[in-house]
Amino acid sequence: MIETENLKIAVGELDEERVNAFLDASLAFSPTEEDARAVLAAYQAGMDIVGERFEQGRYFVGDLVFAGSLFAAAVEKLKPLLGFSGGEGRIGMVILGTVEGDIHFIGKNLFKTMLEAASFHVIDIGIDQPPKAFADAAVRYQADIVGLSGLLTTAVDSMRDTVEALKAAGIRRKVKVILGGSIVTEAICTYAGADDWSRNAYEGVGKCRNWMRAKTR
Amino acid sequence: MIIIGEKINGFIPRTLQAIEEKDEKYIREIAKSQTEYGADYLDVCAGTAPEIERDTLKWLIDIVQDTVDTPLCLDSSDVNVLLDVIPLAKKPGLLNSISGETGKCEAILPVIQGTTWNVVVLTCDQTGIQTDPKVKFSIAETLIAKAEEYDIAQERLFIDPLVTTLATQQDSLLSFNEAVRLIKAGYPKVHITSGLSNISFGMPFRKAINTQFLALAMSAGMDSAIMDPTSADMRATLYATDALLGNDEYTMNYLTAFRNGLIGPAKKA
Repeated sequence: MIETENLKIAVGELDEERVNAFLDASLAFSPTEEDARAVLAAYQAGMDIVGERFEQGRYFVGDLVFAGSLFAAAVEKLKPLLGFSGGEGRIGMVILGTVEGDIHFIGKNLFKTMLEAASFHVIDIGIDQPPKAFADAAVRYQADIVGLSGLLTTAVDSMRDTVEALKAAGIRRKVKVILGGSIVTEAICTYAGADDWSRNAYEGVGKCRNWMRAKTR
Repeated sequence: MIIIGEKINGFIPRTLQAIEEKDEKYIREIAKSQTEYGADYLDVCAGTAPEIERDTLKWLIDIVQDTVDTPLCLDSSDVNVLLDVIPLAKKPGLLNSISGETGKCEAILPVIQGTTWNVVVLTCDQTGIQTDPKVKFSIAETLIAKAEEYDIAQERLFIDPLVTTLATQQDSLLSFNEAVRLIKAGYPKVHITSGLSNISFGMPFRKAINTQFLALAMSAGMDSAIMDPTSADMRATLYATDALLGNDEYTMNYLTAFRNGLIGPAKKA
């Protein structure tokens, strides 16, 4: 069993040198799948620290992006050991995209990284995606959650149309819909017929986690 | 430099609050102060939900035009909203914006043909926000050519090469400046503008980044900015950079701005 507390702290501190040293050390002596899972869990716990500090205003967007890059590099190295490509070990399936008429992606990509760090399986369908693309992907991948991103005023109607498309596909009651982006507010959430909203990637992940907890209960 | 005052925008929390509370006084204040500090245009953007965007814009436009004579920069990502509010303007100003997204040019350009309206041109298209300067340039080329089809001269175009966020793209300024240089080399008469505060999104102490971006981008050929002219730091950077770049004969603009109290050390209360 690998001692992972220090790794968690190093990730939380964004101490790249220590993080990499720990990762390399843990991979040096023919690690088992269980070891790899413990390392990944430590990264995830470290990402939680990063998210909390971001919420407190101690960390900034650049810190989140950097943390995401540390996490992505670790997943890349651990992949052969973990042997996952599909949903196994994941807590939920999220379809994510920027709605039709909007092409912004920074927030969406950040949210994706944070979701993956929290063990979600994320299908990112991209920017400027029509309502049908969201509905089709949600049906095909049996989504638990659909995340709609946008920051133009024109994105608001697209968000509403996308929720309508989920209804038309007969899956609205099976999925939770979360809105993200600097345009969204409680009023827009109601207008679009979504379940919740957030302008903060980490807070949004918390909401998704709560949904999955309620679902499995 | 052509200054487009950015403050009358519902995406700014304080302005949104004024819109929601129908606080006419605040809107008049920021229209007046931005004009006094040298805004050539006043950006007017509702930033509210679509079903009330038209009404909000109309409300803002009426108040601003009742307060100052500064031309407006009408700002909406919805072409139909823009078309609806153009007739409300007392005189031609700036439309914000067209881009390579399907249908935008076709809707706006014929309407401003034969008028003196100017237009902001974003270097993005259906495939998204571009980061490659060469792609930005080629989108700009296409859009300049389209404008010409409607007899809209290069002088009427304000090309915005869309600055990306430094926190997520390390070469954001370098790529922006490269696009500016390419566009200016090919089309010296167009204006280059930027909603520059996007550069510092998600960073602390944003004004350090914003002021230095302004100076560096101006040195690459940017000759307009969508910014807050009431910010003393931005103003000082503007006058100092213009003088340093040799655009200010005998540094008279800088000196006059200093004498008039537009720039200089903060006065004690």
